[in-house]
Amino acid sequence: MRPPTSLKKEFLKKWIMGLQLCSSSKKEMSFLERKKAIKLSADVAMASARNATTRWSRALISNASKDDSNKELVECILGPESESLKRASMSLVLCNKRNRSKKILRKSCSIRRARKSSSQMVMASSIAKRLVKKRTQVLKSLIPGGGSMSEFSLIEETLDYILSLRAQVDVMRHLANATELLNRK
Amino acid sequence: MERIAGTGGRSGSTGGEKEEIGAESFLFGEEIQRLMTGPPENGSSFTALLGLPANQAMELLHSQESDTAPTELSGEAWRDNHMNPHKLYYCSPTFPANTTLIDRAARFSVFAAGENSPETSSVPSNSSLKVKNEPTDTDSNPNSLPPLISNPTVENKNQRSTKRKEREKKAKGSTKKCKNASNETSEEAEKLPYVHVRARRGEATDSHSLAERARREKINARMKLLQELVPGCNKISGTALVLDEIISHVQSLQRQVEFLSMRLAAVNPRIDFNLDSLLAPESGSLVDSNFPSMVMPLMWPDVQANDNRQPYQQLWNDDTLHQPVWGREEDPHNFIAPEHSLLSYDSSANSGSLQSNQLKMEL
Repeated sequence: MRPPTSLKKEFLKKWIMGLQLCSSSKKEMSFLERKKAIKLSADVAMASARNATTRWSRALISNASKDDSNKELVECILGPESESLKRASMSLVLCNKRNRSKKILRKSCSIRRARKSSSQMVMASSIAKRLVKKRTQVLKSLIPGGGSMSEFSLIEETLDYILSLRAQVDVMRHLANATELLNRK
Repeated sequence: MERIAGTGGRSGSTGGEKEEIGAESFLFGEEIQRLMTGPPENGSSFTALLGLPANQAMELLHSQESDTAPTELSGEAWRDNHMNPHKLYYCSPTFPANTTLIDRAARFSVFAAGENSPETSSVPSNSSLKVKNEPTDTDSNPNSLPPLISNPTVENKNQRSTKRKEREKKAKGSTKKCKNASNETSEEAEKLPYVHVRARRGEATDSHSLAERARREKINARMKLLQELVPGCNKISGTALVLDEIISHVQSLQRQVEFLSMRLAAVNPRIDFNLDSLLAPESGSLVDSNFPSMVMPLMWPDVQANDNRQPYQQLWNDDTLHQPVWGREEDPHNFIAPEHSLLSYDSSANSGSLQSNQLKMEL
């Protein structure tokens, strides 16, 4: 398992790079713009720290590069491997579309199957299943690119995503604390 | 802060486990590589931990219990299984999750020796899944069920092929507690595509339900890991509630990211945080040596002029008082110190600090 410190260091490196690129390109940015730029570069840096080994990172990168204004930033942060990573993320998008259409077909077929649940036991289990299903859908909406994952891969991606988010939050918090303390001087 | 220590500790423990496992992995490296796509080299944390070595974790745990098991698990054992028609073959590269589950159950389990006679149905559903039922095993144990596993069952297993994994169920029908002899679990600890599965009492034995069962157990193993990761999930039982916790945790983390980016935007009027090489000469006194090695390879904009160093150094000396505050965590310590030392560079400009203060007040 990668030690968290190296992940944080890599993230910090890439993030600072992205921020500098942002600041050099525009001179005056409003507060909201700044916040968006910071968050975006943080997210992309986090995703690129994973080197597109996980689906959520690829989805994040592809979502970010869809927006033209962010493209150069994304490319810069990704660095030399940006082209291959982009290709990987684009192919993922295409795969998702295919999977989505398949799923729609499958769902339309399964709806026709009648629900034979009459006994209490079966009802309880079906209620439980429905609850779980709702929550997995919510989770899918939370995790970037989660819409087209199987249940199993969703759980794996969640694991990875939570770890990365934690590292990201730690680094950002320390940076924020540091700057605020310095500013008080 | 505690959370960091917690994650650090956790990651440390899992890292240690991984190393231990890694040593063992060389033993069975060949078979395993044949079967599994290699674990992600970048060390995507838990996925790497889960993907490959779960089976080896199994094996590690049980290699102490039975000395003969590892030797039996040498390569030819599973080759034998191909030729033995009497065994149940269950081939799934994702079975390690299953074995971890079995392992955990085995630690707490109560063995029952009931077996039923599975119907003989051999339906190869797909290339990775072959199931053949085994009629002969049931003769070994009568259908009376002693509450604890009896030695005869263990001996019987040892007599047969080592690749079989038995699941036995109490007559009352507690499904989730897999009852295995420790020997059996150690037998299937080696990561092989073919693992024997016996159908449980009272359950369908066709390939679909078996596949479903394996899939369910895979998912449950991962869910357990998630439970350990998310704080406060350990005591909760039930998938829906655990998922609730996970969702709220992810949401809170995402919200924290937003919030922190807002803070950073407010703090600094120009969002350039210069961790430039100016830090390097200062670093000898305060920061560990590994941080400059991280900073130096980075290509930062030009070094600031010399006349700016004077006020900077004064700031630096003041900031050293604050270092013990952050010194609690070891990991961020290295890059906090350089951070705030270099950030002071920017904020030393008076106009900048005034603006940031105004922004803070607005917030």
